[in-house]
Amino acid sequence: MREIYTPEVFYFILMLGTFIFLAAIKIPIGVSLMFSALAGAIAFGEFFPVRHLVEGAFGYIDTMLIIATAMIFMASIKHSGLLDTLAKKMALGLKNQPTLLLVLMTFFIMIAGMITGSSTATVLTTGAISYPVLKSMNLSKKKAGAIIAMAGIYGMIAPPVNLPAMIIGQGVDMPYIGFTPPLLLLTFPLAIVSSLVIAGNQLKPVNVDELAIEDIPSSNFAIYLPAIVMIILMVLENVGILSLGLPLIFIISAILATFTGRKGNIFKTSVEAMRDSLGILSILAGVGMFIQIMTLNGVRGMIVGFLNGLPSEILLIGIAIGIPLFGAVSSYGSASVLGVPFLLAFLGGNDIVVCSALSLLAGLGDMVPPTALAGIFAAHIVGEKNYFKVWVAGLPSFFITMVYATFVIANSKSFGKFVEGNSFYPVFFIGLAILFVLFIIFDKFKIRRQTT
Amino acid sequence: MKRRILAFIFYILGVIAVCIIATVSFISMKINPVLNGPGVTETVKLSNWFEGIKNTNMDTNVYVFDSGVEGGSILILGGTHANEPAGILSAIVMLENIKVETGKVFIIPYANNSAISHNDAMEGAPEFYHIDLPDGSTRDFRFGSRRTNPTDQWPDPTLYNHQSGSTLGGGEVSNLNRCYPGDPDGYPTEKLAYAIVQLIKNEKVDIVIDMHESSPEYPVNDAIVFHQNAAELAITAQMMLEMDNIQIRLEESPVNLRGLSHREIGDSTDAMVLLLEVANPSQGRLRGKTDEDLVVTGLDKFYVQAAKEGKLYAPYDENGYPISLRVARHITTIDYIIQSWNMMSEKQILIDDIPSYENLINDIGSFLIEHEG
Repeated sequence: MREIYTPEVFYFILMLGTFIFLAAIKIPIGVSLMFSALAGAIAFGEFFPVRHLVEGAFGYIDTMLIIATAMIFMASIKHSGLLDTLAKKMALGLKNQPTLLLVLMTFFIMIAGMITGSSTATVLTTGAISYPVLKSMNLSKKKAGAIIAMAGIYGMIAPPVNLPAMIIGQGVDMPYIGFTPPLLLLTFPLAIVSSLVIAGNQLKPVNVDELAIEDIPSSNFAIYLPAIVMIILMVLENVGILSLGLPLIFIISAILATFTGRKGNIFKTSVEAMRDSLGILSILAGVGMFIQIMTLNGVRGMIVGFLNGLPSEILLIGIAIGIPLFGAVSSYGSASVLGVPFLLAFLGGNDIVVCSALSLLAGLGDMVPPTALAGIFAAHIVGEKNYFKVWVAGLPSFFITMVYATFVIANSKSFGKFVEGNSFYPVFFIGLAILFVLFIIFDKFKIRRQTT
Repeated sequence: MKRRILAFIFYILGVIAVCIIATVSFISMKINPVLNGPGVTETVKLSNWFEGIKNTNMDTNVYVFDSGVEGGSILILGGTHANEPAGILSAIVMLENIKVETGKVFIIPYANNSAISHNDAMEGAPEFYHIDLPDGSTRDFRFGSRRTNPTDQWPDPTLYNHQSGSTLGGGEVSNLNRCYPGDPDGYPTEKLAYAIVQLIKNEKVDIVIDMHESSPEYPVNDAIVFHQNAAELAITAQMMLEMDNIQIRLEESPVNLRGLSHREIGDSTDAMVLLLEVANPSQGRLRGKTDEDLVVTGLDKFYVQAAKEGKLYAPYDENGYPISLRVARHITTIDYIIQSWNMMSEKQILIDDIPSYENLINDIGSFLIEHEG
């Protein structure tokens, strides 16, 4: 072992070992992370690190609020009947074109991420709405969950709002301008390929019985109000007209949902949603403490330095693996800590394209345990208790995304020429239209073959 | 049942203890330091120029050095980013030593007074660092955050739509150096930026210098970033520095990089605006253990390694990049900028007792007055 990495590597082994041991004896993940951070601090000589633990725990306070309120919103619209109603409306129009419907549902899921820049918010809103449709197309819980989780990640990376790209760009004073074409090229093709790969042969035309809506007193316009209000408030927030913040937007929409459709009780719903989300909230607090101590004792620097110091031949592999892996603790953290030095390492290519691809790799971190925010919440909304099943189902897409993003980084100049050229938008949208036509033909052919 | 109640009480007491310890630690950072020096003629609050920040933690002390002799004027900003300590320390060293003979000098050591009152979460930064004084005692200084304290401004929006039309990540609305030229009705940090711009306009400030530090892997390092109106000033200062074997780069302020002091103050006032950068490993991403020593010595083994691999944009070796060197670079650059100004303008700014580069490097503590920092 190289001398330069001691004693940091021992701190790292101690912290990881403590975490794995505690998790193995069924101590909650958040608490395990806290104690492993404590072990790392004590080994470093910080025997009373209360200030660091509390400071680290506050690192994700905004994310925690978004998650808690998004969970309340999701529970409210589920109770009101909005989820089922929306799903039915969307599914019936294309009930005999499952491939096209699947792709359109994937795009639909991405919308929330494109507005909020958060995969968690995406999974818990448009992801939750789309689940009944995916289910009605014969997709298993784990496959539907994987599609929702991956679409959440693509949505978070797709333009106009891509927070990891902004974070990386801010680290090198690169304005968030000109990112739309590369981000479109990075996310939408992947979203199509990803959902088709995950669905595989399971996909079937919509089973209308699966979409039966029972005892919803009102299927009129009012039932859609919570979703409409939510989208309007999100757009107003992003154009800077009315800044309420995502948590308040979710709460307002959740309260509205209790008066539309099936009547609900916001307090009861809130308590249930909070009970469901406490586990992940504690993980985030634990992750914050873990990173704080990793930074304090030099483990973070060791990891960044090691990856950044890789020879250029294997630097790309280091990036492809390192950024998503670090994203396991936080995709935004990964963008900031690793994304910036890696962008600097690739200066001279097309910086906007490289930054976009790095943001995609950082986003993938939301599928990496132990936090795996997108995977965990996708498992939650599809009712899959073991989120590892969702994670495994999403692995092929995960790797395709990883390879594609790395390929784009390696060829950033060529991609840059294409996305910055005048022909990009016509080629992109005509390509999408051709694909849709092919899906329709494919579905018709498939159904005809099944009936004959 | 009794055991469960005891466990519950134990748990609650534990939580209360943690809250008290964390709160005491947090509040200890909120003391507003008052500084002084032999040349200070007046200490006023920034809210004098914009009442919108009065009685808030955004308000900060402005130290005025009025020679009473008509001449030019300069505003020196430290602590725009409170995790860049050389900027703050340079401002303090200047205000505790200089005397102004002609013209007027304004020094704001804690430009974002709120940012000095907390640390960035998950950065493991020290709350304080200290400098040894000649009598064997030490003087403590705070190490703060890049951004405004959330207790003064929270929550931030998802996106920050800057008035120029550019879009930034939401957190940047609490970064003073993305909020210029400010907004009297905006977020507290935008109000702070607005107050600084009002000072510059009302006092007809000729030169604005905003002192920063940057991580050694960042391309703009050991540099003067200048608004195009200040090009001549920057180039002349660079020539003077290089004659003293102090290497410094010149970077013209990019037109599309909005919200920054060198761009927005330069565009919206008549002042010549320059931003100074010097390499500081304690804020870099490659740094190892993060403690007071790193802040003061600037020595980090991972940065030494990165330098050997050619990954840095600043000269770096086993000697580190001590804060005395960083402060010496800032103060000497300011000195030469003022000399350049005096060569090209009739509105002279004449300052005595600016500590020299060599003396600062050798013993920065001898330029500090003994009191709380």
